[in-house]
Amino acid sequence: MTRVTIPIGPQHPALKEPLSFLLTVEGERVMESALRIGYVHRGLEHIFQNRSYVQNVHVVERICGICSHIHTTAYCQGVEALLELEVPPRALYLRTLLCELERIHSHLLWLGVLAEHIGFTTIFMYAWRDREIVLDIMEELSGGRVAHAVNVIGGVRIDLDQEHIHSILARLDELERQVETFLGVIQHERTLQARTRGVGHLSAEQVRRYCVVGPVARASGVDVDMRRDAPYAAYAWLDFQVITAEEGDVWARTMVRVLESIESLHICRQLLNELPVGSLTVRASRRVPPGEAVSRCEAPRGELVYYIRSDGSDRPARVKVRTPTLTTLITLPDQLRGVNTADVPTVLSGVDLCIACADR
Amino acid sequence: MRDLLSALFTLLIFPGFGFLFVCALVFQWIDRQVTARLQGRIGPPWFQPLADFVKLMAKEDVLPVNAHERACAALPMVSLAAVLTTVLVIPIGRHAPNAFEGDLIVALFLLSLPALAYFLAGWLSVSVFSVVGGSRALLQYFAYEVPFLMALGGPAILCGSWSISRIAVQQSQTVWMMFVQPVGFLLAFVGLIGKLKRSPFDIPKAKSEIGAGPLTEFSGRKLALWHLSLDMKTVVGIFLLVNVFLGGSFTELAVPTALIFGVKALLTLLAFSVVGVLYARLRIDQLVSLGWRVLAPLALVQTLVVIWIGVQ
Amino acid sequence: MSRFVKTLAHLLPELARTLFGGRVTVRYPFAPLELPACFRGKVVIRPELCAGCGLCVRDCPAFALELVRESREQFRLIHYHDRCAYCGQCEDSCRHGAITLVNEFVPATAQRDTLTRVAVERGTSTRQNLDED
Repeated sequence: MTRVTIPIGPQHPALKEPLSFLLTVEGERVMESALRIGYVHRGLEHIFQNRSYVQNVHVVERICGICSHIHTTAYCQGVEALLELEVPPRALYLRTLLCELERIHSHLLWLGVLAEHIGFTTIFMYAWRDREIVLDIMEELSGGRVAHAVNVIGGVRIDLDQEHIHSILARLDELERQVETFLGVIQHERTLQARTRGVGHLSAEQVRRYCVVGPVARASGVDVDMRRDAPYAAYAWLDFQVITAEEGDVWARTMVRVLESIESLHICRQLLNELPVGSLTVRASRRVPPGEAVSRCEAPRGELVYYIRSDGSDRPARVKVRTPTLTTLITLPDQLRGVNTADVPTVLSGVDLCIACADR
Repeated sequence: MRDLLSALFTLLIFPGFGFLFVCALVFQWIDRQVTARLQGRIGPPWFQPLADFVKLMAKEDVLPVNAHERACAALPMVSLAAVLTTVLVIPIGRHAPNAFEGDLIVALFLLSLPALAYFLAGWLSVSVFSVVGGSRALLQYFAYEVPFLMALGGPAILCGSWSISRIAVQQSQTVWMMFVQPVGFLLAFVGLIGKLKRSPFDIPKAKSEIGAGPLTEFSGRKLALWHLSLDMKTVVGIFLLVNVFLGGSFTELAVPTALIFGVKALLTLLAFSVVGVLYARLRIDQLVSLGWRVLAPLALVQTLVVIWIGVQ
Repeated sequence: MSRFVKTLAHLLPELARTLFGGRVTVRYPFAPLELPACFRGKVVIRPELCAGCGLCVRDCPAFALELVRESREQFRLIHYHDRCAYCGQCEDSCRHGAITLVNEFVPATAQRDTLTRVAVERGTSTRQNLDED
């Protein structure tokens, strides 16, 4: 049979962001694939070196739109470690609240995108409709739906009163009912299972070899979660479960992400009900003493690592960002080998790529 | 002279091109509105299908360099012609313009021509996405066509006639075929979803996988005619189903025939829209497997049951 | 039977619920769009409160503010709308409360020269202040 080369990307309906795959296809099976990234590379790590620490909080937020808050959290944590600041508990709780809300919104977005790629447009519309609940909550808290600018070095900029807390809790209840509906669909709907079960399988051994993190790793049975393993912000004071699955295919990843959204809703409720009183920021000096800091957080896609080196001035000497999507991108040629051409978008969606994060 | 005028009226106005054109646009609009409302959206305004058609007719018409240009220009015409001819044997109202014994077979044959033209369109416009889409369209054709034909043969055997008009008339005197042969009706329904390439069987034009499938390289007037022929096929397919299984517009009640026929057709369209919204798209191998492992045996059983009843 | 129906038609209740009242589309711009008060939209600078200290200029990550200083009393604060990222750092940095981001969300314009706005102008001893439009 002849081999045909099908280009997926940089422009393709299956991709949210530009990425280039050259698939060598024989009949309906993918034989090999060649991956190319870098289409969204903006040289952000160089930009960080030419801005002050205060300015960088906003530049860091714009590495990615879906996980903007976790980038600022990781960055501010790193700088606060260099400054040896003790952030007040109320600020940590509010930071964590936004982290978890962002996790829910990211997973709902991803669910919609996966559904669209397997032709299930209805779930796409419903997931994005219910995501609006979370985006409205975030907008009322911070003033922005995507770029919140909630974190400052030394704490947070926003505050909540009791009435606002009650209104958010009511909406979280409504959201939980909707997410339970999605869970039911994923568990029972035959066509969705037919398209996602057994597709894009990654074994636990492959996960460990490629150092994959996040829901992709957890769906293959590898139990890693920064929130529990290296608690940051308010996670040390919270009670939550880490969701894993055994099958390692796209269906398992879907289950893990939807169950994680429900778990995040529980975490949000704990945060809102147990919000401590206190100040919101501590004073941070503009000049950071020389040193190095490594800050790790659990982004919606996995472990996010920031390495910040300071040289005593008000600009960082080096900010290195390792995003979780880089780890999952490397597994794609393996996952795509032997897969049916019709399953290629499913596989690509299953790993929840955020190319803007990966390319920086 | 009068015969000539009457023939022209039939071919161009009712139930020929003009009527089908308006029906195609209206059905497309209703389908999009229902899908939108079920998904929480508003849906397009009433003139959207017409606007799309007019816009496409005005656009530039390009094809890749290696594509067979004359064949690609002829294929949408073939598809349109086949669909327009089919409507002449289907009774809308009380008469079909050209009913005769065996016109069911002719209608089914004509309705399978657009599928072949669709495959050829993909094959002859040489880009990768088109070729893959075209081969998928052909595979899909083999998956649904056999159960569809067998399911439509059931009412013919029971009513003792291969003419659509007679089958429709018979139902008004006895009972709708849908109730006598529910399995056959379901098979025809599912087969028609495949034939019309609607969700969940819209595999050849799976946007996220292969662009627009066989029609990727078409643009301008050719694409406008393709979309028109596929929309008209929807209308004709629904009319066929209504006549063969739902009794057409023949009834003992004293209601205007247009109303009865319109209500039945719209309810069928509604059912198609709801089913389209409920499921994810199947993969081609899953569809072929479904077609040959589930649908074809069921159709065989249904046909045997019908023959046995007929013999009694 | 109910399990069979469940696997085949799981979404039907949600479809029915959406059909009868679950519409989320806002017919913007033919219907009003309400935004919360804290939404960070258009940048409004009140010239009478501006002291020309330049903290906002120093902290802007997009270099969208420029302070042109001719003398101690004479300065101009220019805001470049096309560079502005609406991050709000200027609002947080200003010690005098001169900058706020209000919840107007349509700052688009059809004239290019309105994208550069001289927000504050302190000139002669009569203290000429150019207002916002």
